[in-house]
Amino acid sequence: MGLYATLQVIWWLLLGVLLMGLAVMVGMDMGVGAILRYVGRTDLERRVALNIIGPHWDGNQVWFVLGGGAIFAAFPLLYATAFSGLYMVMLLLLWTMIMRPLGFEYRSQIERPAWRNAWDWVLFVSGAVPMIVFGAVVGNLFRGVPFHFEWDLTSFYTGGLLGLLNPFALLTGVLALSLAAMMGALRVMNGAEGALFQRARAVVQRAAGAAIVLFAIGGFWVHAMPGYRLVGSPGPGVPQTPLQQSVVRIPGAWLTNFGVHPLLWLAPLAGFGGMAGAWLAARADRSHLGWWLGALAWIGVIGTAGAALFPFMLPSSADPSMSLTLWNASSSKDTLLWMAGFAAVFVPLILWYTSWAFWVMRGKVSAEKIARDEHAY
Amino acid sequence: MINGTVVDLSRVQFAATALYHFLFVPLTLGLSFLLAAMETVYVTTGKPIYKQMAQFWGKLFMINFALGVATGLTMEFQFGTNWSFYSGFVGDIFGAPLAIEGLMAFFMESTFVGLMVFGWERLSKGQHLAVTWLVAFGSNLSALWILVANGFMQDPVGATFDPVTMRMQLTSFQKLIFSPDVQSKFVHTSIAGYVTAAVFVTGVSAFYLLRERHVPLAKRSLRMAALFGVLATIGVITLGDALGFVAARVQPTKLAAMEGLWKAQSAPMPFNLIAFPSQSAQKNYGMVQVPDLLSLLVTHSLDGTVLGIDALERQAQRRIERGIPAVQALRVLARDPTNAAALARFAAHRRDLGYGFLLQRYAPNVSQATPAQVRAAARGAIPPVAAVFWSFRVMVGLGLLMLAFFVLAALYSLRNTVQSKRWFLKAAVWMIPVPFLANECGWLVAELGRQPWTVFDVLPTWMSASRHSVAYMVFSLIGFFGLYSIFIVIELYLLVRAIRLGPAEPGGHGMLAGPTVPAAAYGAKAQG
Amino acid sequence: MRTFLYFLLFMVLAVVVTILAAILGAEGAWYFAWLIGTAMLVLISAAGGALLDAQEASAAAGRGPS
Repeated sequence: MGLYATLQVIWWLLLGVLLMGLAVMVGMDMGVGAILRYVGRTDLERRVALNIIGPHWDGNQVWFVLGGGAIFAAFPLLYATAFSGLYMVMLLLLWTMIMRPLGFEYRSQIERPAWRNAWDWVLFVSGAVPMIVFGAVVGNLFRGVPFHFEWDLTSFYTGGLLGLLNPFALLTGVLALSLAAMMGALRVMNGAEGALFQRARAVVQRAAGAAIVLFAIGGFWVHAMPGYRLVGSPGPGVPQTPLQQSVVRIPGAWLTNFGVHPLLWLAPLAGFGGMAGAWLAARADRSHLGWWLGALAWIGVIGTAGAALFPFMLPSSADPSMSLTLWNASSSKDTLLWMAGFAAVFVPLILWYTSWAFWVMRGKVSAEKIARDEHAY
Repeated sequence: MINGTVVDLSRVQFAATALYHFLFVPLTLGLSFLLAAMETVYVTTGKPIYKQMAQFWGKLFMINFALGVATGLTMEFQFGTNWSFYSGFVGDIFGAPLAIEGLMAFFMESTFVGLMVFGWERLSKGQHLAVTWLVAFGSNLSALWILVANGFMQDPVGATFDPVTMRMQLTSFQKLIFSPDVQSKFVHTSIAGYVTAAVFVTGVSAFYLLRERHVPLAKRSLRMAALFGVLATIGVITLGDALGFVAARVQPTKLAAMEGLWKAQSAPMPFNLIAFPSQSAQKNYGMVQVPDLLSLLVTHSLDGTVLGIDALERQAQRRIERGIPAVQALRVLARDPTNAAALARFAAHRRDLGYGFLLQRYAPNVSQATPAQVRAAARGAIPPVAAVFWSFRVMVGLGLLMLAFFVLAALYSLRNTVQSKRWFLKAAVWMIPVPFLANECGWLVAELGRQPWTVFDVLPTWMSASRHSVAYMVFSLIGFFGLYSIFIVIELYLLVRAIRLGPAEPGGHGMLAGPTVPAAAYGAKAQG
Repeated sequence: MRTFLYFLLFMVLAVVVTILAAILGAEGAWYFAWLIGTAMLVLISAAGGALLDAQEASAAAGRGPS
């Protein structure tokens, strides 16, 4: 494999890592938002829950921004085609996500119950909706998205407004939401005591149970679904456009990669194992262990999707031969190389100072202290 | 063929969301360094009032920061959602700085901002100070990488068009980040943020001095902001001059529009202080001129000249004619990437490809373009003169106003008599909106002056937009206007409220002194 | 010994910073100016605050204890 093809695979893997970071870190904060009204019955309980993620949500959200930036830099044609094609879905995502920072920062500035109640609803919507959208978008990748290109690579989206809200996408959307709720609840358990802790534990168990069922149904569904297969292309590591390949749709094709490389079955196994492990850990009140097992579940689920779709990034249902793969959507060799250099330096640095920040703020969040603290949310 | 209304609506949406985002960013850029300055004094002298200052201004910083982060999310994705052809065409170069911004800067800023707010009791003094400094550097490094990306749109160096992949590709990363336009624009923008924050802190401090509240805190804040502001304003003006010098070389059409220069003039060129440019008549009405000044400003010499719009239009026309074969060759290459004749023809005309694209708007099939269409395209290569001309003058005028303001503020503050100059304190409160207006005007000069291109000389704006329907665009515009209007009302309400309540006085009353209700009652109250 | 190690560490840092500054000064003069200028702005503004403390202290001393 040449340098260019290697870089393309590295960036495909790095994108996977970023999506896992996004799912684990942003998903956890969104999960807290989604379950806030349920686990926190009093204002103080809700404030405790918010202050558990308070010092970190801002840093965590950068996984989302970086995910967007990395797709733009490493797979520009994917960024261009997917985000414009999924316009309405992206608006739904953006409009709910931009409310979230305000929910965190502004909610506790004023004591009036109506004010706080309104922001609690904002946090619920801005937690639940984006996670469903994330999941639904990935679900749609399996079905293909109706788009095609003109001679100069102008992309056209030919689907309707609601075509993206099909049953399979809703299933993956709810799966993402339940994993987020599970992680959010585990995070609340890490920092909370008393009734809040107990309710969060109940959420973990219900959400993990739901995730196991949904992931299993999704697996059977994909098994019978028509998948995409690349039958002719200029090949990996060759500069190309999506106008130069041929792709066919074959029922069950999404499982081809698992047949060729049986080791890939470890990914769904990690998914199920992580979900079940988180359930058991929550039962035993070992929420820190549960959180790491929950992260493993995310890695397994996203790894499963990636392993099934490879080398496709955005299959086209309108004209399968114009599907985007990592070979035809990636940046040039120079860009990928420079970006790899930056990632090699800064990703470890980010992991280091993020862990330091969590370590500094470790421990239980005390309700007494929040009530006194002028900086608290 | 793309619908012109869709392009216009996409432009309105981008401009509105970018201008809105840019209301909050400059304050973050500057206030973060002022916080660092205040906390540095606290750590070195140990005087608690500086901690109180850092915490109070930190509170206002966070109210503003939240909205900056929120609206930044829109910007990160809007290139893909609304400018998809642009994103695919230059993403190989343009995407990289955005991703590096996340990796190097935004992550740092956002992670440490959490510790800055929540870490007062968990970190040592030195650690907390380091965290504040990292937030300041992080936010400004973010601006650096965003402006590297923007600089590429203004002066696309370090990239070339590849007919195989049908897009611009990176050739030199060094050229990209060290381009003169990027460098001067970054420093200009970053320090404009410092000025914004300095005016804000001066104005709010003046508000307290007028009411004789929190006087020691207000006097110290005013002193620090005045010194910070006077130096920063000098820097902004210097860098503005450097940017004009760069534009004279790389973006002559922008410069001609900024100066309302319809016809070439002999050296030394006069400066149009006031004029009312008319795009249709191609001339200015009601001019007031300053002799020799333009040559001095843009070429730094008395015998320098720059091209007028008439000459630039003729230049554009020649480049359009040379761009036609480039587009024709590209259409062949799209079907047959190895066609040797087309490759040779393309190589001979690749420099003018963008001008060929420009013609496509007036003549969809460039092979059959009439001379009238070529002339129309050449005329279309000139930005909207009046808007650029006046945005530029408003920006410069406000900049000079702020310089005078800060010289006075520094003088009064250094003499320690500022609290008795009530007229000045009142003026200082009214100055608060001025830097925000100047920032917005600066954005308009830079981005309107770049028209009709998204990437100067390379990609026309009308080609860059996503192919949405008018209905989609109307829907999203209404959504953004609605949401953003609600946001700004809430933000201003909270900001004004926090300013009115004032900082927490040790042992006194103030919003930040903490709630008077005990924790248990607090929880019970919300249950109802 | 401890002091000496710190000295070595800071010397190494100083050399690295000098080399980086030399490169940045050649390729990116405005970037370099920004770095130096920002540090200067912050320090002058901080010094201004400390100066105000000194001015008020000496004014209070001039009036004598009240």
